[in-house]
Amino acid sequence: MGSFKLGGMTFGSLFKKPETVLYPVESKPAPAGLKGHIVNDVSLCILCGICQKTCPCHAITVEKKARTWAIDPFRCVQCGSCARACPKACLTMEPTYTPVATAEYVTTLEVPDQKAAAAE
Amino acid sequence: MAQFSQEFTPLPIEAIHDEAVARKAGGWRYVQTLAVNTEAGIDLVYSYMKDGLLENLVAKALPAGSAVPSVTDQFLAAFVFENEIHDLFGITFEGLAIDFGGNFYRVAQKEPMTIISPELKAAREKAAKVAAAKAAKEAAKADRAEKAGEAQAEFLAAHPEAKAAATGGRVFAPSDDEAVEAKLAGMDPEKVARVRAAIAAKAKKAAAAEQDAAKDAELEAKLAAMDPEKAAKVRAAMEAKAKKAAEAAAKEGE
Amino acid sequence: MGKATVIPFGPQHPVLPEPLHLDLVVEDETVIEAVPQIGFVHRGLEKLVETRDYNQFIYVAERICGICAMGHSLGYAETVESLMGVEVPKRAEYLRVIWHELSRVHSHLLWLGLAADAFGFESMFMHCWRLRERVLDIFEKTTGGRVILSVVKVGGVVRDIDDAMMAQVIATLDGIMDDYTKIMNTLLTDTSVKNRTVDVGYISHKDALALSMVGPFARASAVNYDVRSFGRGAYGDLADFRPILDDGGDCFARVKVRCLEVLQSIEIIKELAAKMPAGDIEVAVKGAPADGAQASNVLEQPRGECYYYARGNGTKNLERMRMRTPTSQNLAGMTSALAGCDLADVNMIILTIDPCISCTER
Repeated sequence: MGSFKLGGMTFGSLFKKPETVLYPVESKPAPAGLKGHIVNDVSLCILCGICQKTCPCHAITVEKKARTWAIDPFRCVQCGSCARACPKACLTMEPTYTPVATAEYVTTLEVPDQKAAAAE
Repeated sequence: MAQFSQEFTPLPIEAIHDEAVARKAGGWRYVQTLAVNTEAGIDLVYSYMKDGLLENLVAKALPAGSAVPSVTDQFLAAFVFENEIHDLFGITFEGLAIDFGGNFYRVAQKEPMTIISPELKAAREKAAKVAAAKAAKEAAKADRAEKAGEAQAEFLAAHPEAKAAATGGRVFAPSDDEAVEAKLAGMDPEKVARVRAAIAAKAKKAAAAEQDAAKDAELEAKLAAMDPEKAAKVRAAMEAKAKKAAEAAAKEGE
Repeated sequence: MGKATVIPFGPQHPVLPEPLHLDLVVEDETVIEAVPQIGFVHRGLEKLVETRDYNQFIYVAERICGICAMGHSLGYAETVESLMGVEVPKRAEYLRVIWHELSRVHSHLLWLGLAADAFGFESMFMHCWRLRERVLDIFEKTTGGRVILSVVKVGGVVRDIDDAMMAQVIATLDGIMDDYTKIMNTLLTDTSVKNRTVDVGYISHKDALALSMVGPFARASAVNYDVRSFGRGAYGDLADFRPILDDGGDCFARVKVRCLEVLQSIEIIKELAAKMPAGDIEVAVKGAPADGAQASNVLEQPRGECYYYARGNGTKNLERMRMRTPTSQNLAGMTSALAGCDLADVNMIILTIDPCISCTER
């Protein structure tokens, strides 16, 4: 019979801090830069549509006439290329995941007309 | 430490098997086989490596559904790629060591990599049109430049008083020159003289306009080099002068 | 002399990380031959080049496999850069290699756990994956993703690792060394492990060359081939790189080679982190590959040599992108190793090629 080689490690883990956290009572802090979900600051958006062209999953839809910017968070793979391609830096990647849902939905945002507002 | 280098060499279709035998005897390592679906046919690329040299042998434009000798008798590892190519591209391999007979991947559509989807077809046609338009434009430009050179030489020889523009021999509507000459040949000699005079006047005006433009450009350059405030003042003065001149011309015209 | 029965193995089996089907022709507990069948995860990813341009396709290439994700994005980016004649800044090359070597550490730790699980050593499986979690935490802190990193792009990398973060990375790697040494010691000296791996699935050096095997699977049969020894990119700046070889040719040799490769990768990461040059992390790539241009590339992934081929057609979409993964090359070796083995050893032999069937099928 060989010796119990993992004995030291097994015995030590009785007294060490556990590797897992008691989720959902406690959760690990999300590191900065975690690829969670995309948000759009509509006050800076110019509806150019570059994010729509860059997205590899066709998750973003930009309607210039209706002045809406929509993203399907369930098609998005959190690659971040839209945030990097945006010329006005209005898209950012937030470090929280899209919450679990029972039905798929599309997040549509109304983009206010900055020029019209300034002219008034 | 061997250095990595790669080469692409063509391979005739009949030589696929003999090449494999030669490579195995020469101690080359078999790397892979792949297929590319092109408009002309299916290309097969066999890769072998030895001492850091990766040689890709390209057998171009096999007709769809053709039969090719298998290399699995030399390199058993090729059976995976040959079965895959059979399932996805439709090339049959004769003498496969482990032959799945089309059931390797069991795809829903036969030979899916050879299917051209409507979007792909549209994209390819668009790309072809763009390339054709570009080629036609280049050819027409070259043609026009040649004709323009000839026509200008002819014209200058006939009208020594019409100076070539200051910027160096630009011609106006050269492609119409041949047609004009043809028309003039059949016309009344008085009319011919008038038409030729008109052409000469047009040439002089074009030259004058060119000189004006050149002067303007010079002035702009000077303004850019000057102090911004002064430049603004000069520009305002120039605008006022131009306005006055325009008003004067309008008054004269009335 | 009994009569032959055919036992189906897979596609779903607790020991397999990915679906693979084998028909084992068995006679009295001895496998006479095995006929592999794959195709359960064929997603037709290579056809997606027609609808995704060369910048978007890198995200498809990453998702070919979860274990080799970094490897595929790196190989694809290098191939397209070679096709378009783009030179990547030095710092980006270093960062790519550091992430790739971390990917190798995580992949080998994953494999060591699975190999232990293949012969029933579940607590070793848990310990290996516990250490692997620390590596995944490094990925999360430096790139934002645990498994799919999305950090390489054509022309460089997307994020930088500053000195403070790099020091944390090195500290984490040092932190796992203590436990990893204990794990390695158990795997390589424990008698139960040896009973299940020594002289199992033997492939001689001659056969390994004839079957064109690649990766640690081949290096355990003394085939001296490792793409990293060509010294391209940041690998060329290493002081000394020697592939780890072993002439055992059996499952035990393959376990040993992978255990030692983890240590080698950690040394490489530390060396490159110390030598990291300052500079840009990306270069802008404009235009499209020329019509008819071809490029090929090889990369040493955790499972072996992976071959990439790209052909351009003048538009932003590539004409053809091909990834030949190491597992597809090793399938012939696996089939020949299974002939003549015991039924109970089938798990171990299949696992020793480190099968990544999703890579094979794309």
